[in-house]
Amino acid sequence: MKTKMMFILIFLFSINLQAQDASALLKTVDENLMPESYEAYRKIINEEPNGSKKEYTFYTVKKGKDKIAMLYVTPASEKGRATLRLGENMWLYVPNINKPVRITSLQSIIGGVFNNADLMQLEYAAEYNASYAEGTEKEYILDLKAKNKTVTYDKLKMWITKDKKNLRKVEAYSASNMLIKTLEFKEDKNYGNGLIRPSVIETTSPLYKGYRSLMVYQKIKKRQFPDEVFTQSYMGRLGDLR
Amino acid sequence: MKFWLAYLLIVPLFAFSQEEFDSSTNEKKLEWSGNLDVKYSLLQMSQTSPAYQLQFYSSKNISRYLSQYRIEPYLNAEYKSGSVGFFMKTHATYFSDEEATVDLFEAYARYSPTLNTSLQLGKSVYNWGKGYAFNPVGYVNPLKDPENPELAQAGILSANVEYIKSFSSGSLQTFAAQALIIPAINTINNRFGEAKYTDVAAKFYFLLLDTDIDLMIYQGSRSYKKYGFDVSRNIKENLEFHTEFSLTRNADRYSIDNGILNRERGDIYSYLFGIRYLSEWNTTVIAEYYRNGFGMSKNEFESYQDYLLRSIAIGTPDAIQQTLGISQTYFKSNTLMRDYLYVKLTQPEPFDWLYFTPSIYTIYNLQDNSFLLSANFTYKPETNLEFILWHTYMFGKDDSEFGSRQIEQKVELWMRAYF
Repeated sequence: MKTKMMFILIFLFSINLQAQDASALLKTVDENLMPESYEAYRKIINEEPNGSKKEYTFYTVKKGKDKIAMLYVTPASEKGRATLRLGENMWLYVPNINKPVRITSLQSIIGGVFNNADLMQLEYAAEYNASYAEGTEKEYILDLKAKNKTVTYDKLKMWITKDKKNLRKVEAYSASNMLIKTLEFKEDKNYGNGLIRPSVIETTSPLYKGYRSLMVYQKIKKRQFPDEVFTQSYMGRLGDLR
Repeated sequence: MKFWLAYLLIVPLFAFSQEEFDSSTNEKKLEWSGNLDVKYSLLQMSQTSPAYQLQFYSSKNISRYLSQYRIEPYLNAEYKSGSVGFFMKTHATYFSDEEATVDLFEAYARYSPTLNTSLQLGKSVYNWGKGYAFNPVGYVNPLKDPENPELAQAGILSANVEYIKSFSSGSLQTFAAQALIIPAINTINNRFGEAKYTDVAAKFYFLLLDTDIDLMIYQGSRSYKKYGFDVSRNIKENLEFHTEFSLTRNADRYSIDNGILNRERGDIYSYLFGIRYLSEWNTTVIAEYYRNGFGMSKNEFESYQDYLLRSIAIGTPDAIQQTLGISQTYFKSNTLMRDYLYVKLTQPEPFDWLYFTPSIYTIYNLQDNSFLLSANFTYKPETNLEFILWHTYMFGKDDSEFGSRQIEQKVELWMRAYF
């Protein structure tokens, strides 16, 4: 009986250690992707099966674990629009009507494969609990489970390089285990100040057959902002930061 | 009293503003942008409608089907240098060389001495309230068209200061205050306003426990005061709830009593409840119930219709002009009655057809069961190019609000090019 108890305790202890280890790895992945507070320019390219493309440029500012704001820079039809995320609260500001409205993370503002949650991604470790799955020779594989229902994707499967702990691929699944989209992280680039990370995120989805979206990081710079930047009232003035 | 209120609201905002933050680059930037709308409308007129007969009194024997072709250029300029900025939005409508107008929608200068404080002077657009189609607390908003709530509109001459403060701990996450001074709207010789008719307004915003809350006050110069609040919150991950409540004290409400314009003065309550829901099929549903305290009852609306018909029966140019004047001054709102339901369904990119968005909406008058039904199709085949096809139909009895509108149905085709 005593021996049985000991085995159970050791088993539980090892599971806990593994979970801690997986969480630490997930935090490292976050750190390798972005500084905690930064400004960045990104381009989104939506490609259609017939080869035509649509491009958008965004200016993004982020602070800490729960604040991110994004301004549409191009094209002209979207210029001046802004989205703000404070934890699970998300707003869209439309310059024509000069008013922020609450939106959900699932909505896609620009069309294509990316939705708000992809564009306004905070940190994986803040939204998911991680555990190890069986890896490959060169990569760790993590299974991520959403910490609460407000997170857009219920489960993620994540491929991470063993040498530099860089993210290579993410598969996003619904609660019913349906594959929603696949994100591949490509073309490592040096952004300065020791930040070397994939510059292109290629996204495909079985829901949009033949379509492909690319997110290209053009500039990433560590920068501190006051909290007031991440407020509804400041959304119309986000361009002042550029 | 009002001036003291304005003073008390504005001065502390600067006094308590936080230390200076390098909120902008010092690079000077002048940016131009805008769009050109080309609009074609095909209208089926309701020739028995009193509104039609008044409007087209001098144009007898015209076809039931009318068309309109117009262009609307929008031109915007934005100049920024450090903490100072200048912004301008213009709009023009061109029907022909003889019939064209230019409007200055916005023209203001903004000074932001610190990141959390700004002073704005000129003509600006405000959009208070959380409602999508209606805003009972939109005391300083342009007159909203619930058929197209996202259309750019003209602002008001005003001066405003805004202060923002964030809190890193506790249940209050953000506080913001905005105070406005609005010079006299009614002017003498179109130039001078009496100083005593200056209005002041203020809005206080709180992000409290993940809920947006606004408190509004409008101190009007002509005895009325308005108090209101709005609330918005995501009650589920895909469901947002919003509400607005407004009380106008000493407000004037107009109706027609025995063929005479009747003014009642008293306290008026208006309110709104609404939701925004995103289904798992990516359908967005916006639903709102609107109680318009200024609106007419069913009997009052019938009296109003009788009044219009009587003027048409008299048929003299003076009678027609007088009735048109009263109608366009006191009954120009898009919602003349009291209880409305607004429902809009939007399904972006159905059947994997990217950049195509169909939507359908209705404005339903709960008092007389008349309604407007509209289908809208938006297609963006190229960057900076948008096509919109719009079909609107009115349903209801001849004496109902939507059934008595001068247009029975309309089809509109817009092409919008941005630069």
